[in-house]
Formats: sequence, structure tokens, C-alpha cells
Amino acid sequence: MLENSRKEIALSVRGIKKSFGGVEVLHGIDLDATSGRVLALLGENGAGKSTLVKIISGDYEPDSGEISVANQTFSKLTPITAGNLGIRMIYQEINDAGTLSVAENIFLGRLISKNGFVQWRQMRREAQQILNDLEVDIDPNALMSSLRVGERQVIEIARALSDKAAILVLDEPTAALSGDEVDTLFEFIDRLRDKGTAMIYITHRLDELRRVADDVVVLRDGNLALSSSDARNIDRSILIEAMVGSKIDEFGRPKMNPIPADAAPLIELRDAASPGAFEDVNLVVLPGEVVALYGKVGSGISEVAEAAFGLQKITTGELFINGGPPARSPRNAISMGVGLLPADRKREGAFLGLSSGMNLVAPFWSGVLGGTFWVNGKKERTSFEKWRTALRIRVSESGADKPISFLSGGNQQKVLLARWLNAGSKVLVLLEPTRGVDVGARQEIYAVIRQLADEGVGILISTSDYEEVVQVADRAVVMSAGKITSNLDYHEVSVVALTDASGG
Amino acid sequence: MNTMDEGTVPAIRDEVSVVSTPGLSRPPRRQLPEALALVMVLGALILLFTLTSPVFFTTNNMLNMLTSIAVIGIMAVPGTILLVAGQVDLSVASAAAMCGMVTATLAESMGLGSAVAIGLAVGLLVGVINGFFVTVVGVNSLIVTLGGLATFFGIGQLIGDGQTVLIRDFGYIGTARPFLNIPMPVIIFGITLIAGFIVLKYTVYGRQVYAIGANPVAARLVGIPSRRVIFVAFILSGLAASVAGLILVSQLGAASPNNARGYELLVVTAIVLGGASLNGGRGTIIGTFLGLMIIQVLSTGLTLLNVQSFWQSIATGILLIIAVSFDRLRERLSPS
Repeated sequence: MLENSRKEIALSVRGIKKSFGGVEVLHGIDLDATSGRVLALLGENGAGKSTLVKIISGDYEPDSGEISVANQTFSKLTPITAGNLGIRMIYQEINDAGTLSVAENIFLGRLISKNGFVQWRQMRREAQQILNDLEVDIDPNALMSSLRVGERQVIEIARALSDKAAILVLDEPTAALSGDEVDTLFEFIDRLRDKGTAMIYITHRLDELRRVADDVVVLRDGNLALSSSDARNIDRSILIEAMVGSKIDEFGRPKMNPIPADAAPLIELRDAASPGAFEDVNLVVLPGEVVALYGKVGSGISEVAEAAFGLQKITTGELFINGGPPARSPRNAISMGVGLLPADRKREGAFLGLSSGMNLVAPFWSGVLGGTFWVNGKKERTSFEKWRTALRIRVSESGADKPISFLSGGNQQKVLLARWLNAGSKVLVLLEPTRGVDVGARQEIYAVIRQLADEGVGILISTSDYEEVVQVADRAVVMSAGKITSNLDYHEVSVVALTDASGG
Repeated sequence: MNTMDEGTVPAIRDEVSVVSTPGLSRPPRRQLPEALALVMVLGALILLFTLTSPVFFTTNNMLNMLTSIAVIGIMAVPGTILLVAGQVDLSVASAAAMCGMVTATLAESMGLGSAVAIGLAVGLLVGVINGFFVTVVGVNSLIVTLGGLATFFGIGQLIGDGQTVLIRDFGYIGTARPFLNIPMPVIIFGITLIAGFIVLKYTVYGRQVYAIGANPVAARLVGIPSRRVIFVAFILSGLAASVAGLILVSQLGAASPNNARGYELLVVTAIVLGGASLNGGRGTIIGTFLGLMIIQVLSTGLTLLNVQSFWQSIATGILLIIAVSFDRLRERLSPS
């Protein structure tokens, strides 16, 4: 064998088990990362990818098993030992200092200094050297904030590599990147491979696998579902089955709602586009229908849904609400009978300091629902009582007057959903409606959504959770990279079809 | 302070994080009403000074203290509304002085009635200007009103060429005691307090203010016209400043560009002492009133004890920091 093609195992993991609160989430995982090869770590949300990676980075301590790096074997790592061994993490969110230069970012936290003074010239020179070595054409004096997202990602990796990196762990690095930025990153990864860096590439995008990976490991429910050293030629359907497994038949489908043939659409998009978000979108939501927009983060699903609430402008094509013009603003949308459940409950949905009753009636403060001058505290309480019973919101007596932060996540979500039922909305746009909601409350929320559909409300759900689509939607529209890739009717909706159409 | 960039979440917000425990709702923490702590501090101070000074707990002294806080208090009422909405108005004191200068300068030539009307109109204009830059242009209210503080002070000097302007026959709103021997400023302050209390607690406008302060993004998503609400609050603040400015002129019989100098800090101190959060979403009129009273009782009490006035300022400053630190500690220590 030639000297430069010899591949050594850089990191080896054997029999790793990990439990949280008595529930085992990793049931004995083995994997090897080889120098000069990219190991793709695949799996759906909750498969155990991030737990495994946190064990490798030293953030979590495994219950049993061992980790070998550079001929040393450990029963656990700490962030410091992992760092000393040259293990470097690159996360999907970029954590850089935008107002500083590229050189400063590369040496962030370990600026080259002498007697307390930064050695600017030496630092720039060394930064330039690092960038040259990586064949990156970026000026080390440029401001970080002047770079494109993909370039910032590259600098982040350069920073990790300049600091003795032997094993690079990339956690969904393409999540925030555009098409040609992804290409830049992949070319960069190719160069690192040639230089002999061992890489672990975490993703749930099957299409990236063929381009970037040499080896592949699929996790499912904390088990090793598949392991192969021929990532480029493995059959797509085998990967999907390994990822979703028996879940394929696990979920019941809701009862189909008969929709009258002459029903007028509540939401309709025709060849609609919004630059940088989505294009060529055709979509109809009829009264009594639950339509799911399914796709990964960045696929454009939330932007399409938000357009129906006046949060995203359509530049070409058309959008109709109730057959009329689209909403110009959330306020305008509310006056048209549209309600929105935002994805981030804490930041966008709830008024955490205010009472549950106030949170419920908040849309009436817009003044477009016939709000009056005076607050009607009695009505606030009776409304809350009504929806508390109807939606089984679990809170003690006089719950209407207590801050909503006293409620659990699932119960808060019910209050925010009830907000629009109380306001009598005929069109509901729900963004990730059960994110951060426990299993029991999730089923109750699905039941409420189905009941609303039975009453003739049109519901558009934007979600990246395929289980949710299967359990609650009549139809699914699947998106990837801003375009619709598939329209699945009632009988076509399945975990496999959704996974396949969304690009894995 | 939230800027009015409605599409984004303000960068500096330390929101109370809520752990969602599956199936369980968090037990409500045992918590005394915030006002109770303030009432106890105030009660303790009053008791202390009553025991140490024979003239402290007299009707006359009480009315004097209320008169002393009336000018600041009138500005603190809309100030509370603004702070609850996550905004601040630091230009109130300068605006008060400027309005006083306008009225005193015009009184001779135009007559008192017209001069007062124009003085109030200038206050309204101040509110419109502040509101415009904060809500339409989208500049942080701290910056806008800090600029206003300097600008209005300068205009006040410009009007009188830096001199004090005397005004005749304008004692009524500052010195008259039309009802039960209660001074006019106290009556105006009382009306302002009650109006502010009703607005914040019982009107939809008050609810909008709390919602914007508690979560500006969520407020937008439930359709609250945030810009309009904040604009109105700045107008109320400008108007209150002009009323306060006129009372000062009436009390002194003269307008000076240095009238009310530094009062903006007393206004903010009283509101924050009363439990309002600089992040918005929290604060009450009752709390603000108690905050005002604590500052005044401390000041009057120390004066009666012949403590040098420098110490009063030191005591007020330390009290503010202790009160807010205590509040932060309590928030951090409470099980959440």
C-alpha cells in the first residue's frame, strides 16, 4: 500500500450506552472515524445523534462503553481532554464575532500576544498562512460580518483546524447555507479529506450523503440501524428504511373529512414566489381540511405558511385569502379571520409575565375584532374557563389569573391555540404546533385540530415532524430548498413518502 | 429598551425561562404582592422619622411632601406607561422647563390663557417628535430622548437668552388651595395618578402596553398596533411634562431654563423603585406612587434630622440599587 493512502482509525467508539432519567437513549453504539475519510452520521430527530456527539465532545459522560483516540482508551471524555485530543465541533449555528476581523476570529480566545499586547502583524501573517494552506481565498483583514454565511462557516472550520484538530465533527453544517455555499463547503471538505483529517458529518439529508461521505452509520432509537463503508453507492430506500424502521406503520391516520366539491378555498397560492424563501408554490386549503407543509429546516415551509398571515410578501404569483387579496400585516390577517400559532412559543407566542386569561384574549387587544375601550375581566375569566374545559388545559382553580408561565409547555400551547378558537378564526396557520410538547398533550392537540377541521375551519400546518403529518393531516405538500417536491393526497401520506420527497 | 424594529426580537432581553416539565404544571411560587414590600419599607421609614422628629407626622408636613413630589409624580405617571411598554422618556424635565419658558415669555404679549395653551401645545409637540423618531424612524427611545433632553434644554435657554423670565398673576395652579386646603399641584397629581391607574389596569390600551413590554414579537402576532400605542404614550408623556413645567413656573412665579433640571432621573428612579422593569412588561402606578413617596420621605426625614443634603442624594442612590438588586435576587432565587 502506498504511504499516503494508508488510512488509520482516528477515533473509535465501542459499546456506548447512555440513559437520561432512567430511560436509555443509546443502547450500545460502535463506530469508527478514519483519517482522510468522512463518516456520515444519519438519523431522524431523537435517534440519538446529538447525544452520541456530545459524548464524543466530552459534554456527556457515557454510562458504559469506551472511546479510543490516538491509541489511548477512555471510559469518558471531558471537554478539556477532548480538546487536547484534537476533537473539534462545528455547530450549525455560527458563533463568531461579526464586528471583528477574520484573523481575530481565527485566533479568538488565543490571540497571539506579547506582554499583553496583541501582535497584529504576526497574527495576520499566520492567519493568511492558515487560509493559504486550506486554499481559501478570504482576506484575513476583512470584517467577519462582511462575509457570506458559507464563508463564515469555513472560517469557523479554519479556526478549529488551526488549533491542532485531528477529528472534526460537523453538526448539520449546511442547515443555514444556500446552494452554492453548500458547494463551497463540500469542496472544502474534499480538501480536508486529502489532507488526512478524520470527519464525522451529521445530517438527515440523504442527498448530501452521496456527495460528501465515505462511510455511513445510521442511528435509530438509540441503536445502530446500519453501518457501511460504501456510502456513495448505498441504495436510498435502504437508508430510509434504516432511518424510519418499523415506524412506517406505527401511526394511525386520521379519519378523512369529506370536502364538498364546490368548497371555496380559504388559502390559495398560485405560482407564488418570495425571493430567498420559496418559488413556484401552488397550494390550496379548503374549509374542513388539514393540510401539512412538510420539509426540513430551511426548506421554505414556514415562509409559505407565514405568507398566509401577512408576514412574508409574495413578489410574483398570487395569494388569495378567502378568495380575496392577501393580508398586508398580522393585524390585517386577524381581521380576515386568520390566526397564527408561531413556532417559538416563548419568543413569539406567549406573554410569559401575563396571566393565562390575558394570553387567551390577547387578539381582542388588536382592536380589529370589535375590541372595546374597557377591559372586561369577567369575560376574560369565563372565556378561559370555557376553553380550559374544552381543551383540557391542566391548571388549578383561578388559573385564568395566574401567569401563563405556571403552566407546562403543552398546556401553554393549548392556551395559545385556544386564543384563535376564542377569536373565532376560520383559517388557522400552525407552525410546528407540537414542538417542545410532551406526548400526551400532543395527542390532545391533534384531537383539537381534527375537531376544528370537522367544524369547517381550514388549517395549514408547517412542520418538520413527519409523525405529525401522518397523524393529523388530510394532505401533505412536501418542500425542499424552497420548492414543492411532492403533493401527497390522503392515501399517499406515509413516513416513507414524506422522507423520500423531502430529500431524506 | 426595545426599539421598534418589529420584525426582530430585541437583542437585550433576559426573559424568564420556563422549563416545561412533561405533564406537570409548575407549582405557583409563593410570592408576596410586590407592593407589599414597598409599603413595608415606606411604613418603616415613616415610623423611623415620626419617632425621631416631632414635626414629621403632621398634616402640614404630609401635604408639603405630596406637593414636593407632585411635579415629578405627574411626569412619572406616563413615564410608568412608557417603561411598562419597554420605552423611556429622558426628555421630560427639559421639556417641562422649555414649556415653562414658552408660556412665561408669551404671557406678557398674548395674555395668560393663550400662553398656557401654547405651552401645553409645545408639550404635545415634544411627544409627537419623540414618538415619531421612536416608532416611525425606529431609533431606540433612550437615544431619542437623550437627544431631546439636550435639545429642549438648549431651546429653553435660547428663548430667554439664558435668563429667568418673570410671570405675573400665575400663582393659581402652583399655590392655590381650592379644596380642603389641599394644594392645587397635589390635586392635579392625584387626578393624573387615578387616570394612569385606570388606564393601565382597566383599559384595552393598558393591556396593549403590558403586552408590548412583555413580548413585542407576540404583541405584533396578535395584531396589536405597537407603534400607535407607543406613540400615544410619548404624547401623554410630553403633555404631562408641559403640565409639570407650568406648575413649577406657577410655584416660583418665574420660568428658568434650569427649572426641573435633573428631574428625569428622579422620575426613572421612582418608577424603577416601584417595581417596573427596564425590560418592559412590569410596573404599576401604585408602585410608582410608593416609589415617589419613599424618595420624598427619605429626603424630608433626613432634612428634619439636619442631615446634610449631600447625604440625601447618596441615600436615594443606594436605596435604588439595593431595591433593584433585591428584586433581581428574589427573581433568581425563586424556584423556576
